[in-house]
Amino acid sequence: MLALLAGIFLIHLTGIILLLAATINNAWWVTDTVSTDIWARWVWVNGAWNYTDLPDIHTYGEEYLQAVQASSCLACIFSILGLFVFLGQLFTLPKGKRFAFSGIFQLIACLCIMIAASIYTDRFHRNEAGGWYGPSFILAWISFVLTFISTIIYFVLRKKTA
Amino acid sequence: MITLLAFTSLALLATVHQSDSIVIYTGWERHALVGSDIRLSCSFFSWHWTSEDVTFSWSYRPDGAKDSIAIFHYTGGAPYVDNKGPFRDRLEFVGNPPRRDGSILLKNLDFGDNGTFTCDAKNPPDIVGRASSVRLLVFEKVPVQAGVITGAIIGVVLGLLVLVVAIYYLMRFLVARRVFTLSLSKKKGKGKEGSQPKQASVFDTFTH
Repeated sequence: MLALLAGIFLIHLTGIILLLAATINNAWWVTDTVSTDIWARWVWVNGAWNYTDLPDIHTYGEEYLQAVQASSCLACIFSILGLFVFLGQLFTLPKGKRFAFSGIFQLIACLCIMIAASIYTDRFHRNEAGGWYGPSFILAWISFVLTFISTIIYFVLRKKTA
Repeated sequence: MITLLAFTSLALLATVHQSDSIVIYTGWERHALVGSDIRLSCSFFSWHWTSEDVTFSWSYRPDGAKDSIAIFHYTGGAPYVDNKGPFRDRLEFVGNPPRRDGSILLKNLDFGDNGTFTCDAKNPPDIVGRASSVRLLVFEKVPVQAGVITGAIIGVVLGLLVLVVAIYYLMRFLVARRVFTLSLSKKKGKGKEGSQPKQASVFDTFTH
């Protein structure tokens, strides 16, 4: 029982860490000299990385960028809140009940990061051939999978001991 | 206690009288659209009463230029607006000097009006003070700050979350209270055996 709980906790925690890494690191799209999104752009100039702003809102992705930013932030927030809710439910849930509340939070986090990653995949860099998707983008999709698994676990698991 | 209070207030007044200078307030930066009007406000703080000889002067320094040009002066109870310079026929005095307000109105803005506007006010005998500057930025379209939309979305969703949780707990509390009062009234009317099972079943159906 304890090993199972530890495993579930670890999956949730890993999900949070990957979400944070995907959101904070500006590496959704990478070329040889540029590492960009979703907050700013790193440009390799004269042998050093320079931190620059993203192009103007109307020429780069328009409002879709704000949607990606907002939903990836929300995914992080809901996942972290879900962790605390899970810990709380561990001690207050009556025997035999499901961890529904934690499951709901993880579900919302999963949906949010899915929205963020989907919008980014569909609306950005569609015609650019000179680059590839960076580590943050990949982590975003992996954390989608992890939060989804976590959601399922929470909705299926029943509390065994009081 | 009272003597301490009197002493501290006297000391405060003394120190304040030392820094007896006029303090001028304008904005820091103003944004406006091409073709619109903008009101540049200027007011001051002074320990002396507003004198009849109070003066306001505005000067303008275009972006990139080194010299500034005077564009407005109020003295002896009369305003003198720019009639030769870059703002001729576009400047209007909308201030109220007895109320310490020396604001001006710039009409029909253009990109060439980008620059720094400096307001200098004097309230005799309080004439020592620093002039204050406000920077004017003229835009074709008012830019939406990038973070505002993102922040708004996050704020709204979190607000909804808090609302939903609050409503959930409120409903639970209300139903529990209603059931409690119902069971009380039943106890008074019929007796213990009749009411106990009913109370338990209502609870069960709700929390399931």
